[in-house]
Amino acid sequence: MRVVIAEDQALLREGVTALLREYDIEVVAHAEDAAGLLRIIGGHKPDLAIVDVRLPPTFTDEGVRAAIEAREKHPGLGILILSQYVEPAYTAELLATGEGGIGYLLKERVGEVRTFLDAVHRVAAGGTALDREVVAELVGSRGPSGEAAALESLTPREHEVLGLMAEGRTNAAIARALVVTLGAVEKHISNIFTKLDLPATDGDHRRVLAVLAYLRAGGDA
Amino acid sequence: MRAEELTAPISEGAAGTAGGPSARAFQGRGVDTTRLLSLQIAIGAIAGFATTVIWGMAGGGSYWPAWVWFGFGVPIALNVALRWAWAQPKGFKRRISVQAAISAVLWCSEVTAWVLAGRGGTFWPIYSGTGYLVLLALHAAIWGRIPPEREAVLSARIDQLTRTRRGALDVQAAELRRIERDLHDGAQARLVALSMQLGIAEDRLSDQPEIAAMFRRARGEASAAIAELRDLARGIAPPILADRGLEAAAEALGRRAAIPVEVDANVPWRTLPVIETAAYFVVAEGLTNVAKHAPEASARVTLDLDTERLLVVIADDGPGGADPEGGGLTGLRHRVEALDGHLTVTSPPGGRTTIRAELPCGS
Repeated sequence: MRVVIAEDQALLREGVTALLREYDIEVVAHAEDAAGLLRIIGGHKPDLAIVDVRLPPTFTDEGVRAAIEAREKHPGLGILILSQYVEPAYTAELLATGEGGIGYLLKERVGEVRTFLDAVHRVAAGGTALDREVVAELVGSRGPSGEAAALESLTPREHEVLGLMAEGRTNAAIARALVVTLGAVEKHISNIFTKLDLPATDGDHRRVLAVLAYLRAGGDA
Repeated sequence: MRAEELTAPISEGAAGTAGGPSARAFQGRGVDTTRLLSLQIAIGAIAGFATTVIWGMAGGGSYWPAWVWFGFGVPIALNVALRWAWAQPKGFKRRISVQAAISAVLWCSEVTAWVLAGRGGTFWPIYSGTGYLVLLALHAAIWGRIPPEREAVLSARIDQLTRTRRGALDVQAAELRRIERDLHDGAQARLVALSMQLGIAEDRLSDQPEIAAMFRRARGEASAAIAELRDLARGIAPPILADRGLEAAAEALGRRAAIPVEVDANVPWRTLPVIETAAYFVVAEGLTNVAKHAPEASARVTLDLDTERLLVVIADDGPGGADPEGGGLTGLRHRVEALDGHLTVTSPPGGRTTIRAELPCGS
C-alpha cells in the first residue's frame, strides 16, 4: 500500500509516518499544505491520502477542500481525513464525492493503533471509516425530515447496527462488536432496509443508501 | 403619570403668561398649532373681506382695509415662521432659527408698513434691518462658536470611542482565534503524539497484558485531555464558524443541542467575524437556555442577513416565564450592545419564549 500524508505539524507528520512504517505501510511522500498535497498525489499516484483538515495558509478547512478536489481528479483515491473536531457537515461533503474509500477520524484515534490501522486498510480498499464520535453525533441528532422520521422508527438495536454500518464495518465485524450471530445482524439490516423503504436490488448499494439517509438526517436536519 | 403632572401646569402657565397665539405655537407641545393657524387665517380673512365690503360701500378711495389685512397677517406670518424654527434640531440651530424667524417677520412687517404708508421719505426699515442682522451675527458669534467646538469635541470623542471599541472587539476576536490555534498546534498536537507513542508501546506489549493495560489507561488519560482541550477550544472560537460561516455553525449547534432544533437561515454572504461570533454565541446560549429550562420544548433558530443588519431569533414552544435579566441573557445583551445591537427577550408565562438580537452590520 502506498500512502501520502498532508499534515503541517512536523510532530504528527513524523509520528504517523513512523507508525505506518512500523506496520509495513509505505509512506511515499509528505506535504505541508493543500497545493503540496495535490502535487504529490499527481506525482505518486498513492492508494490513500491521509489529510489534516486544517492546513496552511488559512488553517480552516483547506484539507477537506483539497481532498475533494483530489478525488475529482483521481477517482478511486482513498481519503482519510484526520481532524481535531467532529464535524458531520464535512462527512456529508466527502461522501458526496463518489468513488473510493472515505475516512474521517479524530486525530487522537491514531493512538488506538489497531483501530487506526484497520481504518487505513479499509479506506485504502475503498471502504468507509467514520469516527464513532461523528456517528454518535449523527445518531443523536434529530430533525423533521421524512428520513429522520423513518430513522426514528428503528429500534435501539437497529440504530446501533446502522451506526456500525456507517463506521464502515462489515456484517461479521458488526456481529463481533455486538456479540451476536451473523444471522442476527443480517436480520437487523434487512429490517433497516425495510423501514427506510430501500428496494431489494443490489445489497451493497442499499447499504450505502441506508448510511447516506442516516448521514443526511444528521447533516441537513 | 408623574411626568404629566409636572409638565401640564408648566405648559399651561407658560401659555397663559406668554399670551399671544404665536407664543403658544412657540410652546409647541400640547397646543394644536395647525388648528390655531386655521383659526387665525379664518378670522383674518373674514375681517379683511368685511372691511373691504365696508370700504366698497363707503365709496372706495384709498384702500385702507390693507392695514386690516396687514394687522391680521403679521401674527399669521409669525406663527408660520416659528413653526418652521421650532422644527429645527434642538440646541443652537433652533435658537438661532427662532431669532431669525422673529427678525424676518418683524422686518417684513416694517417694509410692508413702509410701503402701505406711501413709500415716502427714507427707507427707514434699513436701520432696524441692520440692527436685526447685527443681533443675529452676535448670537451666532457668541453661541455659535462655543457649542460647535464642544460639539465637535464630543462628536470626535464618540467617533474615537466607536472606533476603538470596534477595534478592541476585533482584536479580542482575533486573539481568541489565535489562542484556539495555539491550543490546536501546541498542547493538542503534543498530546496526540504522546497518545500515539503510548499506543505503539501498548501494541508491542501485547505479550505482557498487565503492562499493556497500564499503557492503555495512560492513553485513555491522554485522550480525555485531548477531548477536554477540544471542548475548551470550541467554546473559545468554534472552528466551524470560521470555516463554514454562521449557517453551518448554527446547524451544528442545533445538532448538538439536547432538544429538537430547526434552523431557518438566510445568510447569503459572510459578515464581519466579530458579528458572526456574537450571533453564534446568541444562538449557543439561547439553545442552552431552552434545553435547561424547557427540556420538553423544541426550538427554531432564524437567521436573516441583509445589508443593514443581522437578525437572530431563537423561539421555543416551552412554558415561557424566562427571566430576561438572567445571568446568561445579561451577558448576551452586553455582547450584542457592545456592537450597537439590541437584544430583547419576550417570555410571557404560559407562552413561547423568544430571544431576538439585531446586530447592525452596515459599513
